[in-house]
Amino acid sequence: MNEYDEKWEDRINALLDGELSIDDAELLKAQASDDRELARAIVEAYQLQQVMDQVSVEQAPQSLTKRLNAIPREHRSKPVFSLFQPRWAMALAAIPLVVISISLMRPDTPSASEIAQARQEMAIAFAYLDKAAVITGREIESTVGHTMANAVTGSVNKVIQSENLTSKEKEA
Amino acid sequence: MSRKYRQWVKEYQNQAWTVARYILKDAQEAEDATQEAFVKLWNNRDSIDPDRVKPWLMKVTRNGCLDRLRRRRVNVEFDESHMAGEASGPMQGAAASETAVWLKRAISGLKEPYRSLVVLRDVNQHSYEEVAGMLELNLAQVKTYLHRARKQLREQLAEVRP
Repeated sequence: MNEYDEKWEDRINALLDGELSIDDAELLKAQASDDRELARAIVEAYQLQQVMDQVSVEQAPQSLTKRLNAIPREHRSKPVFSLFQPRWAMALAAIPLVVISISLMRPDTPSASEIAQARQEMAIAFAYLDKAAVITGREIESTVGHTMANAVTGSVNKVIQSENLTSKEKEA
Repeated sequence: MSRKYRQWVKEYQNQAWTVARYILKDAQEAEDATQEAFVKLWNNRDSIDPDRVKPWLMKVTRNGCLDRLRRRRVNVEFDESHMAGEASGPMQGAAASETAVWLKRAISGLKEPYRSLVVLRDVNQHSYEEVAGMLELNLAQVKTYLHRARKQLREQLAEVRP
């Protein structure tokens, strides 16, 4: 397409689009009366426009309309928080580890009140044992005699006595 | 927002569908391409200027169709069955006119960007400015290319007319 064609095409299309001024339109018609090619081009342009008017925007099929209306349902925004997202799953898995770590790191030393209570419970237990040993000794003595009773209860008394002696010696 | 989207569907689905049909020449693929464009519209609904939805959608539809054509890697011949008889074809309302049927084929046979220019301007009746925005061309380019496209159509029409 040469420059000459481009110039006429611009004018012809402007004429069809209603963008050509009255003076320019008259000038174009006058030139067309002397130029058969130009006259033919204008006629054909009008014919094309008439045919083009028969071609309109298509009606979208019903199936497409359904698909388009379903898009908001099918493409919902994903929730920001989800327990199944990797970062949240990892955070959840870390919780037991933290709890176990903290419990392992806690000092195992009993408190002063716990020690005092334990001592009290031990004193009660020893007192009970002494009492039980005395009762047992009496029962054996009444049954089999004094010698046998010493054999059973003597060792316990001796150990306790020797313990007491040792600590007294150390203190002395 | 969903209500607004539905309004967009109502207003623009036919124009987007028409662009897809003329470029792809295949009803099923045109449906898919139009749906893809509207999915993009839905996903970008918050960032698109409401006044620019129509040109944005036409541009996305056209680009999606051209991508599909490139992927095909074959020049699919125009399927005449879509032109002559189908009520849902581009010739709806003008099926009786043989010349109109011929024109549809002729438009589909144009090369890009001529085909898109004719569809957007002469079939969909968008303004020159809108078409320029959709195709990322300046106004002078739009007019020049459109004139060339029309000239091609005019010459073809002269050959088939008695």
